[in-house]
Amino acid sequence: MILTPYQLVVPLICFVAIAYAWSLVFRHKKTIWEAMLWTVFWGFIAAIALFPQVTMYLTAVTGIKNRENAVFITFFGILFFIVFYIVMRLEALEQRQTRIVRKLTLKNADNDADEES
Amino acid sequence: MRITAVIPAFNEEQRIADVVRAAQPYVQTIIVVDDGSEDQTAEQARAAGAHVIRHIENCGAGAATMTGIEAARKNNPDVIVTLDADGQHNPEDILLLVTPLKERSADVVFANRFGQRNRIPFIRRIANGVGNIITFCATGRWVADSQCGFKAFGSKAMHQLDLKMSGFEFCTEIVRESVQHKWRIVQVPTKVLYSEYTLAKGQSFAGGIRTALKILLRSFLR
Repeated sequence: MILTPYQLVVPLICFVAIAYAWSLVFRHKKTIWEAMLWTVFWGFIAAIALFPQVTMYLTAVTGIKNRENAVFITFFGILFFIVFYIVMRLEALEQRQTRIVRKLTLKNADNDADEES
Repeated sequence: MRITAVIPAFNEEQRIADVVRAAQPYVQTIIVVDDGSEDQTAEQARAAGAHVIRHIENCGAGAATMTGIEAARKNNPDVIVTLDADGQHNPEDILLLVTPLKERSADVVFANRFGQRNRIPFIRRIANGVGNIITFCATGRWVADSQCGFKAFGSKAMHQLDLKMSGFEFCTEIVRESVQHKWRIVQVPTKVLYSEYTLAKGQSFAGGIRTALKILLRSFLR
């Protein structure tokens, strides 16, 4: 089996991503379950890179058989990424708002307690 | 054993006073977190004898619960119990929830509304079953009533708990935290009192779908 540079680099990136996920488990920032989900995800990417014929099966399932469909799917992927990014930003903003409201609430509660005493 | 009850409440002026009075015999302190209510929830809770803290803006059940737990932690209680403000839980069950913590056989105790004969609407059983499956997919731990707001936290769990989710997803996040911090969990069958009021206050179907998507998204974002 002759490997192209692409087939070497992508699995390497996947390996680093999987190693990073498991390092987060050892640092108690991620659960074993979440690391397993990421391992499956990156493992799938690596498998496609190493064994491109897997995609033939995918084309049969999804119906991407010509260039027009490929372009459509590519832009669909980009759109998905944009929505994913916006959702992430919204989540971060929501969390920030909650932290501000919580700090204010606890500060007010402390002030009320001081006034009472 | 010093027990503090945390009750997150949003527009619960009809029920909150009764819930506070019913819980008083079983706990030393009651903290009601008024989550930006537009009615008399805070006044009713205060009049019933609870310590009330107020969110200036509605942030969600998870955010209110975490605020209440943070406020409770300052007084260093032995146990923190969380319960819903709509009166669906029977505060007598606090004794059952606290027992495994007293015996030091658990770090967190989950109430299980399906563990004994309760009159629970079929649609609620389905919704909770789906919630349990999603929680299992996201955390790898099976909890028989993962979406119940009635829980008791021992010293280790209350100090390690750090909820980031603001909405109803926080129940799943607590299960995740229990896995991450290796808390010992115990599930205790409790009574539940469903009424038209309780059913109207719960999550809608669309809300449930939104919650499920958030949980799955979050498990990938971490």
